Amino acid sequence: MFISDRMCRELITAGPDLTIGEARALMTEKGIRHLPVVDGDGKLLGIVSDRDLRDAMPSTLLKKADYEQTLARISGHPISEIMTGNPQTIYPYYTIQDCLLIIQKKKVGALPVVDDNGRLQGILSTRDLLKAFVNVMNIDEPGTLLCIVVEEQRGQLKKIVDIITEERISLGSVLVSRHWDTEKRAIFPYLLTNNVINVKKRLLEVGFKLIDPMQWHLEQLPKR
Amino acid sequence: MKRTGFVYDDCYLRHDTGGYHPECPERLSATIKWLESSGLLPQLARLPAVRADQRWIEAVHNIHYIIRFEEACNFGLSEFEHPDNAICRETYEVAYYAVGGVLQALTAVMAGEVDNAFCAVRPPGHHAEVDKPMGFCYFNNVAIGARYLQQKHGVGRVAIIDFDVHHGNGTQHIFDQDPTVFYYSIHEHPSFAYPGTGREFEKGSGPGQGYTVNSPVLPGRGDEDYRRLMTQDMVPAVKRFDPEFIIVSAGFDAHVSDMMSGVNLSTDGYDFITEMLVNLAERCCGGRMVSVLEGGYNLDVLPLLIENHLKIMAGLR
Ligand SMILES: [Zn+2]
Repeated sequence: MFISDRMCRELITAGPDLTIGEARALMTEKGIRHLPVVDGDGKLLGIVSDRDLRDAMPSTLLKKADYEQTLARISGHPISEIMTGNPQTIYPYYTIQDCLLIIQKKKVGALPVVDDNGRLQGILSTRDLLKAFVNVMNIDEPGTLLCIVVEEQRGQLKKIVDIITEERISLGSVLVSRHWDTEKRAIFPYLLTNNVINVKKRLLEVGFKLIDPMQWHLEQLPKR
Repeated sequence: MKRTGFVYDDCYLRHDTGGYHPECPERLSATIKWLESSGLLPQLARLPAVRADQRWIEAVHNIHYIIRFEEACNFGLSEFEHPDNAICRETYEVAYYAVGGVLQALTAVMAGEVDNAFCAVRPPGHHAEVDKPMGFCYFNNVAIGARYLQQKHGVGRVAIIDFDVHHGNGTQHIFDQDPTVFYYSIHEHPSFAYPGTGREFEKGSGPGQGYTVNSPVLPGRGDEDYRRLMTQDMVPAVKRFDPEFIIVSAGFDAHVSDMMSGVNLSTDGYDFITEMLVNLAERCCGGRMVSVLEGGYNLDVLPLLIENHLKIMAGLR
């Protein structure tokens, strides 16, 4: 749940004096889209994205000779001129949920992770974040998704989890979603098993309504 | 009327899954009882189950995996690497006889002793990977069968058609890169159903690119989707592949009354599938087809569905 074990620690970084041309070559060679810029002590100064580099390039509408001349001139500038200084950072003890909200709000592709002294510790990209969520939801393991409609009242999830536990089924994850009816919730347990007959029967016996996930999807659609 | 072989042996009942498991011996004992009372059994050519030679199992599975399986049973464990995979001391032996039954059926068809055959075996096989048991499966019966046809009988191209409601991940992965074995599966959509594989874009890889075809069916859907998808996705692909033999992974858990899945296939829908497969085998490979039981957990309908499947194979309907 914490980003310290989800972030990328094998860092490729640059000093502020690296030229734009060198940065382009480095990012292409390493296949990275974000290049953190640090000082001699490892303190984070800024970040350069492939987007920043593209924006700095001369227009491809220029005539070839002009283009090359401009490109050569631009390539010699230091990246400190185009980097995003003072970027949004996060700390290793942040949760992946925090990062999901930050990435969504700030519309960035990656977040540098720093310690309390501002030293760069790692970087977390949207790709790392997706991987982390696939992993915590356990959907990379074989299993079955159930959909249970419950009344909005205390203790419902406990009953469901108890039945799943008593059936000795290991629970991959549970998502809870608002139902079209405000008094109800739809609960989606992801069960790491092929064997769902007994658990379905028991849920029905204690009065839960199991619905077909497609039915739920269709009923969610706005009525015309 | 065709000569249809039927593989079954009481030893298949000795794979004891503990009494509270849907993949239970009653699936077969109820079926045999039903077939006896309906009078169909004497019209079929009974084929004996024999113990498979381990070299055929090694044609698909990793030897270390085979040994782990044997040890788990010998130790008296009640599950093998996941609670889904219930075992008893005899499971290892029974699994050899399940494979052996399939190989007998294949041999009988190749020798022309029967036109086609059905194997009422357990444990099932299509989830079993090269080195991993999954979803009640230990040895991949149909995959071993395909390798046996190729290596023992010199058959070139084998098509495996899987209509169990779950995707046959094991079979798909075993032949992922192999252009000599075509795999088609129709199953409940992997977003909802076990094991979570079998999307349309999984088409095989490397030299096997294009030799895997998957048709996911959304929960709540049934006959109409099966009819459309099998006609569109399966028939042209199998004809293009031009198999010399068709092996079927026959799962009856897509039936509307089977709580293992959310797909609602009717009894008539199952008839349609069998008719389609029998016709396809007729057109492509002289009717040579062996069908192998996978899932099907509603004890009240499984026997009837198997009876219908057999009758259509034997040309009695
Ligand atoms: Zn199945």
